Amino acid sequence: MQDSSSASMMTGVHSDLSTESATALAVRPRSVDASVRVIRPATFSLSTVVLGLRTLLHYSDLLYTLSMFRLNVRYKQSALGWAWAALQPLALMGIYTFIFAHVTTVKTGGIPYPIFVFSALLPWIFFASAITNSVQGLIAYPNLLTKMYFPREIIPFSYLAAGVIDFLIASVILAFLMVHYRISLTWNVLYGIPILMILAAFAAAMALLFSAVHVRFRDVGLAMPFVLQVWMFATPVVYSLEAVPQRFRFFYLLDPAAGAIDNFRRAVIYGKPPNITEMAWAAAIATVSLAAAYAYFKSSEAIMADII
Amino acid sequence: MIDLKLDRVSKKYRIRQRDPSPRRWYRGAFSQSVAEVWAVNDVSFEVQQGEVLGIVGHNGAGKTTILKLLSSITTPTRGEMTIRGRLAALIEVSSGFHPELTGRENVYLHGAMLGMRRSEITRKMDSIVEFSGVEKYIDVPVKRYSSGMYVRLGFSVAAHLDPDIVLLDEVLAVGDVAFQAKCLDRIAELRKSGRTIVFVSHDLASVYRICDRAILLDRGRVLLDGEPRSVIDQYQKRTFADSSATMTAEMDSQQPARCVNISFQTPESSDSIRTGYPMIARLGYRATQRILDPVFRISLYWPSGYLCAQLTSESSAVPLLLEPGVGVVEFQCPVLPVVPGLYRVDIAIETRGRPLDEQQRCATLFVHAGRPAAGDFYIENACSIRTEAPRFG
Repeated sequence: MQDSSSASMMTGVHSDLSTESATALAVRPRSVDASVRVIRPATFSLSTVVLGLRTLLHYSDLLYTLSMFRLNVRYKQSALGWAWAALQPLALMGIYTFIFAHVTTVKTGGIPYPIFVFSALLPWIFFASAITNSVQGLIAYPNLLTKMYFPREIIPFSYLAAGVIDFLIASVILAFLMVHYRISLTWNVLYGIPILMILAAFAAAMALLFSAVHVRFRDVGLAMPFVLQVWMFATPVVYSLEAVPQRFRFFYLLDPAAGAIDNFRRAVIYGKPPNITEMAWAAAIATVSLAAAYAYFKSSEAIMADII
Repeated sequence: MIDLKLDRVSKKYRIRQRDPSPRRWYRGAFSQSVAEVWAVNDVSFEVQQGEVLGIVGHNGAGKTTILKLLSSITTPTRGEMTIRGRLAALIEVSSGFHPELTGRENVYLHGAMLGMRRSEITRKMDSIVEFSGVEKYIDVPVKRYSSGMYVRLGFSVAAHLDPDIVLLDEVLAVGDVAFQAKCLDRIAELRKSGRTIVFVSHDLASVYRICDRAILLDRGRVLLDGEPRSVIDQYQKRTFADSSATMTAEMDSQQPARCVNISFQTPESSDSIRTGYPMIARLGYRATQRILDPVFRISLYWPSGYLCAQLTSESSAVPLLLEPGVGVVEFQCPVLPVVPGLYRVDIAIETRGRPLDEQQRCATLFVHAGRPAAGDFYIENACSIRTEAPRFG
């Protein structure tokens, strides 16, 4: 007897809830001309890329939200907060200045070494951190991959976008340094924008490639710090491309990061227009590798949830 | 119109097993032997617009894999799926949350992951917050939330999606009873407005109550497709055959007593069980030792998860005694007071307050319409009219 009365009382609670939800939520009538999607096994093909880009466009708001979230979360519960975006390049500038201006000397063409290295460290850190963060970020929340669907490339892209903001913060320090070292700004600084776009495209390509492989082989994450360190010294960051003997120059042409970083410094600090041949090579290689990396990422996206 | 169409869809999983021999040290990553499992095997079905389809089956039958395929979380190995309209999968309601962000920030993040536009979220924010019931803490980082608040906020965001097709996984049914009721109410609303729903669940009572049609999956294949009641009947028969076998197999010598099967019958065994008519419940047991004062319980649960009624041997006047061996406890109910519907059944044996065996959701009880009853219970009565002489003046 007691059981039955308590059960009917409970059902009373139940019906209260239903009226509450009816007032809080109105359901719109169903859309009439709904779009039709066909899902087939994923392949490494052009159609995968086209379909992927269409979906990405639909999720553009997520890219924005997630990029803002990266910035928000990164500096939460840290005392220095946003200053970290400037601290890392400044610290590296200090140690490289000590090594390459005091212990030994590197030819800079009359530019003070601190600003010489700082102007290249900014794009390099942007490039390297986009890759490292993407590689770690894609697998950081397995639940997101196994329980929800959204275009996975948004994760690497959001780190890239957050990196742009860090770059802008550190650029303020670059501006101060330029004033301090009395380096005059020319219109050629505007070349920095297309140069950075090439660098961003190549960073996106590398981030997509390495993060997709990393889901399958965690070796990538283990190798990344060391690969990037070697890559940095293979890129004209602490030295200039002009100091490189002619017979090695060809290899630098193959690396869009090298061309972009050296020409960024050339446009911003030296006030000269960039080397068009180098930039054309860099742009071509970056574009092709981005397209290929995107196709690879999209074709392996299909199984990321299965193997993570 | 057809909203969902699966055409010979298959999904293969490769399960990597590491070679345990010392060879693995030099053969590296490529030495793993790979076992192939077809989680979904050659499955075809269609779902009409406005239809509510239930998918039932044992663990590992491929139910969740089908939801993951439909929601693009993973792609099919073979076959083709056609989806018409905006689809939302509620597979786990708060997996997109980040602990460091506030409730409000998480609503934006989670909403965007579910495919909502920022403007849409802004417009619905007040309603989302109100529905979740966490107004006071909406600007507090969610790491300070209780797990209940976490789930409520997550579900609230999902409930505000305006999809044409809804995929619901049984994880939604986890959570407190009020939350479950809220989920079911929202599903009912969506259903009323003509949305197509695919519902995966172990809770046969909810499937029976909600769905227009059901599919029974077994090892990745569609075994039955049809009216929910016949599918559930079949599923129960199979489950019962399976589980009574495993029940006896699992029995260890440590456990003094265990329920091995349960059945509901009427005195004329061919008849179906009806409200207001007699019913007999038979609980088969196996005991390994002598048990004094055993208490048998059969609990019937509403689809919403509340306890509806309980048959217990405590109400019998004679003290019981269990001798080692196999036997049957019979409950005779002259009048079944519960209203028509599907009930979930839990069984338990205890002695002097000490539980010996507890089995949840081990069976279901179908009650057919019998004597007319409204409300929660049928009240046994004898009704007659007594006329009194009219008094004039």
